[in-house]
Amino acid sequence: MASSALRSSILRRIRIPVSQTLTLNGSTKLGSVRFMSSHDDHLDKEEVTARVLDVVKSFPKVDPAKVTPDVHFQKDLGLDSLDTVEVVMALEEEFKLEIPDKEADKIDSCPLAIEYVYNHPMAG
Amino acid sequence: MAHLMKNLKVPPNSTSREEARKRTFDFFRLACRSIPNIMEIYNLDDVVTPSQLRSTVASEIRKNAHVTNPKVIDMLLFKGMEELKNFVDHAKQRHHVIGQYVVGRKGLVQDLGPKDEGISNFLKNFYSSNYS
Repeated sequence: MASSALRSSILRRIRIPVSQTLTLNGSTKLGSVRFMSSHDDHLDKEEVTARVLDVVKSFPKVDPAKVTPDVHFQKDLGLDSLDTVEVVMALEEEFKLEIPDKEADKIDSCPLAIEYVYNHPMAG
Repeated sequence: MAHLMKNLKVPPNSTSREEARKRTFDFFRLACRSIPNIMEIYNLDDVVTPSQLRSTVASEIRKNAHVTNPKVIDMLLFKGMEELKNFVDHAKQRHHVIGQYVVGRKGLVQDLGPKDEGISNFLKNFYSSNYS
């Protein structure tokens, strides 16, 4: 009883001015950013490309000078199938993903890797 | 493949080299996904990076690249799985990981080169350490 009386007396005094919240949400400065939301923090394509290339360049057997956004791991970089799996696992670690085996098998070049990560909703 | 980690038993033989090859990649993926866990269990952050461990696992697999018999590949995979399970279950100690997989490649584990073939068994055993 005492707590409910306290609550109602507090609630009567604490008011959030409506006009302020409206301007906050509608202001152009904040734009369409939805805080605490997992939907709008998707990576943009340039960032994905840069990070994928960084991962590939940091692979010990790869010559960083050869890495461009459209290289094929085996044909252009001289990696074998096990190296390809290793690169894909490094990408998983970088973007905190778990790529299912069937799809991981298909990723054998930078464009495919960028495409997959970019389209993955959980990439972060 | 993941259920094998919980209840390790011998899987049915691979019927072809292709299947054995696929199982090898599955094993490698499983091992790679266990690496963060292993780093955590054995407190390895200050001695090695996940990518170094990945490369070490890959080079261990590559050592057996010449094996073509699917049954032998299955056997090697089983041994690898056993080893991985021991690490994940904390059945090993920190110096096992470090000795075999961190400094192992440079220091403690020595692959005998062609020049060592002529030496006596005593010397071979003397040179090779407990980690092998």
